[in-house]
Amino acid sequence: MRYTIKHVTRFVYDAAISESVMEARMQPRSDGLQRCLHFSLSTSPGSRVLMYQDHDGNSVHHFNIPGRHSRLTLTTDALVECSEPPELPYRLGPQGWSQLDALAASGEWFELLAPSAFTQPSELLTAFASELGLTRGNDPLVLLRRLTSEMYKRFEYAPRSTRVDSPIDDALRSRRGVCQDFAHVFIALARSVGIPTRYVSGYLFHEGGDRSTDGATHAWAEALLPEVGWVGFDPTNNLLAGDRHVRVAIGRDYADVPPTRGVYKGSTAVKSELAVAVQVGPAQSLFGSDPVPFTPWKSRDAAGQLVDGDLGSQDQVQDQQQQ
Amino acid sequence: MNGLAQAAAAQTAGATRPIGVPPGLFGQYELGRPFDEMFQPDGTVRPHCRPLLEELLAASLPQLRQTQVDADRAFLTQGITFTVYGDEQGTERIFPFDLLPRMITGREWDTLSRGLTQRLTAINLFLKDVYHEGRILSEGIVPRELVYSCRHYRREMRGVHVHRDIYVSVAGMDLVRLEDGRWVVLEDNLRVPSGVSYMLANREVTKRVFPGLFSRYNVRPISHYGQALLATLQTLAPPTSSDPTFVVLTPGVGNSAYFEHAFLAREMGVPLVEGRDLLVHDNVVYMRTTSGLRRVDVIYRRVDDDFLDPLAFRRDSYLGVAGLLNAYRAGNVSLANAIGTGVADDKALYAYIPEIIRFYLSEEPILPNVDTYLLSRPDDRRYVLEHLEELVVKAVGEAGGYGMLIGPHSTADERAHFRHLILADPRNFIAQPTLAFSRAGCFVGDGIEPRHVDLRPYVLFGEKVSIVPGGLSRVALRKGSLVVNSSQGGGSKDTWVLLD
Repeated sequence: MRYTIKHVTRFVYDAAISESVMEARMQPRSDGLQRCLHFSLSTSPGSRVLMYQDHDGNSVHHFNIPGRHSRLTLTTDALVECSEPPELPYRLGPQGWSQLDALAASGEWFELLAPSAFTQPSELLTAFASELGLTRGNDPLVLLRRLTSEMYKRFEYAPRSTRVDSPIDDALRSRRGVCQDFAHVFIALARSVGIPTRYVSGYLFHEGGDRSTDGATHAWAEALLPEVGWVGFDPTNNLLAGDRHVRVAIGRDYADVPPTRGVYKGSTAVKSELAVAVQVGPAQSLFGSDPVPFTPWKSRDAAGQLVDGDLGSQDQVQDQQQQ
Repeated sequence: MNGLAQAAAAQTAGATRPIGVPPGLFGQYELGRPFDEMFQPDGTVRPHCRPLLEELLAASLPQLRQTQVDADRAFLTQGITFTVYGDEQGTERIFPFDLLPRMITGREWDTLSRGLTQRLTAINLFLKDVYHEGRILSEGIVPRELVYSCRHYRREMRGVHVHRDIYVSVAGMDLVRLEDGRWVVLEDNLRVPSGVSYMLANREVTKRVFPGLFSRYNVRPISHYGQALLATLQTLAPPTSSDPTFVVLTPGVGNSAYFEHAFLAREMGVPLVEGRDLLVHDNVVYMRTTSGLRRVDVIYRRVDDDFLDPLAFRRDSYLGVAGLLNAYRAGNVSLANAIGTGVADDKALYAYIPEIIRFYLSEEPILPNVDTYLLSRPDDRRYVLEHLEELVVKAVGEAGGYGMLIGPHSTADERAHFRHLILADPRNFIAQPTLAFSRAGCFVGDGIEPRHVDLRPYVLFGEKVSIVPGGLSRVALRKGSLVVNSSQGGGSKDTWVLLD
């Protein structure tokens, strides 16, 4: 399956700022069953966009805009080919846990087994695990399948219910959240039983029945299972990741792979708004020249919140939550 | 006790007082278990300290007091001060200076010098390895989780090419001398070690207050440190720049070592800048000057990793430069020290340095470590918790004598507190035996008494390793104290490495 993806991110500041420096993790990966055939990123105001690959193989574009500006737009275009993963067995088999323990003992997956910034264990997490009866009694793959469907049942998908830097306890307490929260809870639980698990930032080509917001980025989790390899679990939509999931960046959690991360110089009084529009479509249907409709959620949730009030006129940060 | 009785005592259990020295200034000078830098166990003066002793015996107490006043004033007028954090009554202090130089023989220094060179060479190879292929981790010599769980490990540096593979350009390794006279390494200090300006200032003041004594000794010079540091930075300059620009990056006047940052910039003749004076444009670092932007090639940074680049590390930092890591990754600017060197001076990783030397160099360590218990190991933990009153416990991520328990000097409450801290986060602590490290004679106001002393040589890694002879000798000026840190009431003295 081939997709074209257009992703527009717009920051609007109510007073001019300067010296924007930004990193974007937006280029779909070329690995596994996915190939990124084309990618471009442009900015307005214009800039020289540079790129490096981080140690996880993510393509990171970065640029800076020194002059004063009150609006910043990033536009990406991508053409991606995704293949359907091979049929997954229902269960791993009796050796599952001992093989996982051997993986852990190798030390190689230490960082995907240890809690990370957004996947810290908590009392609420433990309570949720016992509510689900999540123990090593089940087969590892069966356990993750169950975790996916139970999270889907027990959590309400509710945009704007959490923030970009919410700890998992917020979602666990209210049983509401967005895909970023679902991925973090899933990862924390999978790691707690000893399954190496990572965060995936990407896009979903929506079909009827998907719960996550169309027109935004998406996030899910991937677990490393013996003899099967990496398997993607999408608890937001109660899906195993397949050829509708376009993988952009992988990391320990959201903090490693935000779609954009930036700082700028400006007064703390400056309010900024962030708007994102994403279109994922089959490659044969070319987008028209109409502007992409923006999803109407605002930066108060996203960009303004990490700004520390007592910094004075200093570097400001801007982030966007994954829906 | 008369001289004869002293000599008799010396034959059996070692002297308790110096021999052949009239009481006077030395009335309170006791020799004990620790190695004494001035007197031999039998109470006689060490041959290389004889001219110093003669100078002191020729001086009167009022003269020495006047000399001390002169020396202190010299520091004050030069503004050589430091900041004590967590002290409510005025945080700027002059660094207490002890008049008497501490002597190291040339032969001894040559061994130290070889040991430090070996150690820093291995550490640089280790850093390259852990941020690239990780051979030492795959072979299980150093536990992977120890590296990955270290607060100073920077995953952002994985796979980043560091010019010439020099991660640590400047190290300030702390050494102490044990009872049997052997030197051991206590800490490596591989991030932004400070104190070298005191080493240089101490020498200037000593030369001024003891001109005759200084010229009677053949002391190896240290005044070229600034030029040696600049030469080290020059080897880091990206090959593309024919006329590279160097800067010293300071957090600013609020930092405890600001004096030193300004001092070193002046010694090298390069600009002293703060983060806000720099900016990154199209992956190149520039300095704002009155005549426009000027490209910067090498940054001697005295800002911690966490605060260096708000885009990559702490978002709330305004001490750094946004985009610096990307410019660094692209090879457009060099940093001394590199980002992420702190993983090698983690106090738990310290225990593995002898193995690290063997692994990369196939040599035996010239300078040994202090025995170290890792509290993440259950057996070590059990032992340490049973022997808290004998051991020194240190938090692995802290420096400057903060977060430390000295068992023999601790109260039951303090021990209970540390027991609690250790059990809550064992990885965060190590323990070591309480070392009776050596003592050197210090002028304490009423006379001369021995005080515990360590040594921090400054090791530079450029074309090759170079070490200006000596270092900062820090003394625990409080009687009986084992803490030499300036932040904890320590002082310093000049260190003379002799030419012999």
